[in-house]
Amino acid sequence: MSVVLSVRDVVKTFGAVRAVDGVSFTVRRGTITGLLGRNGAGKTTTIRMITGVFFPDAGTIEWLGSERDARDRIGYLPEERGLYRQMKVKEHLLFLAEIKGCRGAAVAQSAESWLKRFELWDKRDAKVETLSKGNQQKVQLIGTLLHDPDLIILDEPQSGLDPVNMLLVRNLLRELKDEGRTILLSTHMMAEAERMADEIILVHKGKVVLSGAIDMVRNSFGKNTLHIDYEGDGSFLEQLPEVKRAMIVNNAAELSLNEGADPQRVLEATVGRLRVRKFEIASPSLEEIFIEQVGAETMEAIR
Amino acid sequence: MNKMFAVIKREYLQAVRRKMFMFMTVFFPVLMSALFILPGLLISKGLGDKKVAVVDGTGGLRSAFVHHLAPEAPDPKKALGGGRRAELPQSLDVEYADAHGQSSLDAAAKPYLDRLNVDKSSDRRLDAVLLIPANAFEGSDAKMTFYSRSSTDLFSQERLGSIANRAIQRQRLTARGIDPTIVDTLTREVPVSSVQLSKSGEQKKGSEANFIIGFIFAALLIIPSFIYGLETMRGIVQEKSERIVEVLVSSMSPRELLTGKILGVAGVGLTQVGVWLIAIAAAGTFGAASAMAAGFNVTQFLRPMVFVYFALFFILGYLTFVCVYAIAGAACNTDREAQQLVAPIQMVMMLPWFVMFAIITNPDSTFAVVLSLMPVYGPMTMFVRTLVSEPPVWHVVVSIAVSIVTIFAFFYVTAKIFRVGILSYGKRPTIPELWRWMKVA
Repeated sequence: MSVVLSVRDVVKTFGAVRAVDGVSFTVRRGTITGLLGRNGAGKTTTIRMITGVFFPDAGTIEWLGSERDARDRIGYLPEERGLYRQMKVKEHLLFLAEIKGCRGAAVAQSAESWLKRFELWDKRDAKVETLSKGNQQKVQLIGTLLHDPDLIILDEPQSGLDPVNMLLVRNLLRELKDEGRTILLSTHMMAEAERMADEIILVHKGKVVLSGAIDMVRNSFGKNTLHIDYEGDGSFLEQLPEVKRAMIVNNAAELSLNEGADPQRVLEATVGRLRVRKFEIASPSLEEIFIEQVGAETMEAIR
Repeated sequence: MNKMFAVIKREYLQAVRRKMFMFMTVFFPVLMSALFILPGLLISKGLGDKKVAVVDGTGGLRSAFVHHLAPEAPDPKKALGGGRRAELPQSLDVEYADAHGQSSLDAAAKPYLDRLNVDKSSDRRLDAVLLIPANAFEGSDAKMTFYSRSSTDLFSQERLGSIANRAIQRQRLTARGIDPTIVDTLTREVPVSSVQLSKSGEQKKGSEANFIIGFIFAALLIIPSFIYGLETMRGIVQEKSERIVEVLVSSMSPRELLTGKILGVAGVGLTQVGVWLIAIAAAGTFGAASAMAAGFNVTQFLRPMVFVYFALFFILGYLTFVCVYAIAGAACNTDREAQQLVAPIQMVMMLPWFVMFAIITNPDSTFAVVLSLMPVYGPMTMFVRTLVSEPPVWHVVVSIAVSIVTIFAFFYVTAKIFRVGILSYGKRPTIPELWRWMKVA
């Protein structure tokens, strides 16, 4: 698969803070790439350099495979979303397309089909401010896609969405991917990325700590994670000598085992103490990997 | 370029559709005219009829106050131009009291003075009382006294005083055996009509109307700049606070964005002036005749050059202001912060407005000339100068050049601050911080 975007050794400093410190990665055509990290890890700053809002202090950002102006190749949904409240929906969409260099009947038609798809066609002449928050988000999402970008950059696209709209966005991302579009999805929600992404880039304190195809990443961490569903009091699981780290929620435990530990020993320990309904040896979840990578110190901070 | 055009179009259409634009375009000139013309009319009318008493200690001035009811038709020309000062205007209802031979003038005046403060509805109520002392004809230290409820009723005071003085002088002369008709001939006032003779030899009739029209034009020139400047500032703050700006600057350079915004707003200003000029031209053909009939020499203000200068200086002043407001907008995150930042700057920029009186009355003074050649102050001052005087061409050219340079300099600074400030969501920067932004951008 060809590469759409190549980011190499990019650095951005604000005052004394190195927000982005030598980040490199590539985005391949037709994939969903997850840019993961905690809030403040440098995701948004990296994205702002890709979108041309900031100039990197060092490093290069290279666009491949098209002669279009780099800015016009991006469909960008910023984390902090906003629209002109006083503008009418369709008028606003056409404006967003126009500042990406697209105008004319084709765009108008595309806007119409998107609005119909999102059930907003009836509201095309309504002022943005009269729309519900969810509908405003849909409008902005359409605005992100209308000019047929090579790369769709979504910064925390699901923040502030209700479950229904979340599902809508999720389905949309899948559809876009099926249409062969390339998506860079920035999020701090590991489970979301796990569900959607083909490749991940894990950023921490301005540096890439891990990257690659999601399956390869997970496999490289070995099958040393146990998922156990049970009835009874499972709090002792945390104390077992084989267990390095445990996440126990509502009769379900995700246990990271120490290196070389035998999962069978854990199963034996549960006998007589719990009614086990599921016992699975698996690759670690992204969340596990994330914690593994960024260390206990960060975990403390999270707690 | 197309992107910038998209911004221009958006800014323009959004602004023109707003109610504020309709208000500014249609009502503002009317409001301004009313604001300046009405007080003039009201002052000369004395804010309605006045009832005054004249307590005459000499007893010899009855004719001046009783028989002198010159019928005066309401005449805007006289209302504005001052009219005949020594005649008793119809709006003054004079009650004459002969206090000759009374031992104390104060005692004679007492009942009248009391009537100053009787109940408003009573028809005995007086607005003012003029005391003329018994020794008014001969006493070298004689003094008339004017009593009124408001210490500021200067108009009635001036009128009555002047009528009394004329009558007293007349009396003194006739007392020395001069025939009253000769006295009238000798003391007839010769009115002054002011004529402005320009270098081009063009004669213009000057009057208080000049003054008022100068103010109206100055207001039309400066106030929209403030209002649209504020709108621009709010627009930028809004784009920041509602996070639209990130999408914008990821699609075009901040400079393109800023240029688009300012040109869009400039288009709004031009449209406004265009509408005004067309309206004036239309009203001019129709109204000039009637205004002329009423005694206003309006045509001197409706010279084609006045329109050209107005449009030109309007745009120059307007763009200067809009740039300043754009800086404030880019630097701040809330309307309030931005308002606080521009408030002092605004006062400085308003300077010509505060000294407009001096500029209009003395358009070729060093002060006015310097002001008209300065950045920021130039457009407004120079326009007023071209309106009421005829400044040398090089003054006009220099003023325009200075303004254009200023606008470009401001634009350059604005673009730099815009580049940094547009994405800074922190607290309002201090002036040193703004300076640093300028250098890093």
